[in-house]
Amino acid sequence: MNHSDKVTFEVRDSIGIVSLNNPPANVLDIPEFIPIGLFSQWTSDETLKGLIFKGEGRNFSSGGNLEAIFEKSDEPESLNIMMRDGHALLAVIQNLDIPVIAAINRVCFGGGLEVALACHIRVASENAMLAFPEVNHHLMPGMGGTFMLPALAGFSQSAKMILGGDIVNALEARELKIIDYIAPKDQAFEYAWSLMLKMTSDRPVKVIRSIMKALKNASELSRNEAMKEETQLFCALAKDEAFRRKSEEA
Amino acid sequence: MTLQWTIEQDIGRLILNQPPSNTMTMEFFQEMQVLVNEISTMENLRAVIISGSGRHYSSGADIAELLRNVDHRTMIENYRAFVMLEQLEIPVISAIRGVCLGSAFELALFSHFRLCANDAVLGLPESTYNLMPGIGGIQKVAALAGKARAIEIILRGVTFSASEAKEMGLVDGTFPKNDVIPVSIAFANALPVNFKSAERSVYLHKFLKPLHAKD
Repeated sequence: MNHSDKVTFEVRDSIGIVSLNNPPANVLDIPEFIPIGLFSQWTSDETLKGLIFKGEGRNFSSGGNLEAIFEKSDEPESLNIMMRDGHALLAVIQNLDIPVIAAINRVCFGGGLEVALACHIRVASENAMLAFPEVNHHLMPGMGGTFMLPALAGFSQSAKMILGGDIVNALEARELKIIDYIAPKDQAFEYAWSLMLKMTSDRPVKVIRSIMKALKNASELSRNEAMKEETQLFCALAKDEAFRRKSEEA
Repeated sequence: MTLQWTIEQDIGRLILNQPPSNTMTMEFFQEMQVLVNEISTMENLRAVIISGSGRHYSSGADIAELLRNVDHRTMIENYRAFVMLEQLEIPVISAIRGVCLGSAFELALFSHFRLCANDAVLGLPESTYNLMPGIGGIQKVAALAGKARAIEIILRGVTFSASEAKEMGLVDGTFPKNDVIPVSIAFANALPVNFKSAERSVYLHKFLKPLHAKD
């Protein structure tokens, strides 16, 4: 099965656009919904300044294909591998050194919400609906939702949302810090696009990537380690800029 | 001297003093390192209040000078001075009026508290000079405002208002500009002698809230 048909990729003005394309609700057929090798190929373009995830049509994504998961339930080892591969894909997205925005219109459930949580910034339309409905099927989020959500919303609100399985609207999600910006009805992509251009269009790729690396280090390294790297990144940019100014004078 | 240091009733007043906009030169950072070292040995000091001479806190580093002289060791030393300031066992309060940009905002972020004039203008504009914040501001903004906001304000390099900064968690209180210094002094005096920076939010609730003008 060539599941990459259900995800499309294009580059516009140095911004990559990943569209979940499995209408009507953009179900993710398997957890590794884009083969990691293919995704890495898309994002290896060194001129890329940012990435936006969106859903084709009206919705972002209703999440994973539960049938596929139940089918694998008598092969625990292969189900385990399948979930692990999905999680590995989300880690690759999270670790990109360009900004990644999720543009969320309407439905964003389960695995779809986990994809959105792996992005660096979340824009949701005012009619967006977010939920972890897994509990209603006697399951739980399986691609990192249980630790990505508390990092934003805190332990107790996350427990409430994951145990309750209830739908959260855009305003509530903003309040819980699960999303960062609210766009007008069905306009999440347009909003995300304009935000992305404001952040990247006048910036050299190297500046963008250095800042993103420093931000990533801030959450992963000890303070002194992160600072050592930040200083190196800063000095490299300063050297470039000093050189650029000199050649302009000449 | 680009820094002015006085002690009034056990409160140290550190004034960035390079008018009109108190640019932070290499000389400033050297003086800063020496001074913070001295402060760390002073007894009977209750608090340090950092502010700018005149209308502004500071417009940040002198970019042209910085680009001529930048090296890894100097940057790390500047950062260490900020960390030493943060590690003082007495409260360090930045009283922000006018502009507070770039390295100056980073200095404010290394203070334990940021009290801000309503009409102050803050930001990290480094990316608009093809640079990035280089003295720990990136880490501080991410910790206070979250990663998404940090990405936005640092990549865009736009300035923001005091109330926007308050909303993002980057400053602790906003006041009419003539009240910022008096409120900072009153707040410093209200803080307990056995100040612990980990109790920040408790102190804000207990001692800063009552200082907001009742209207």
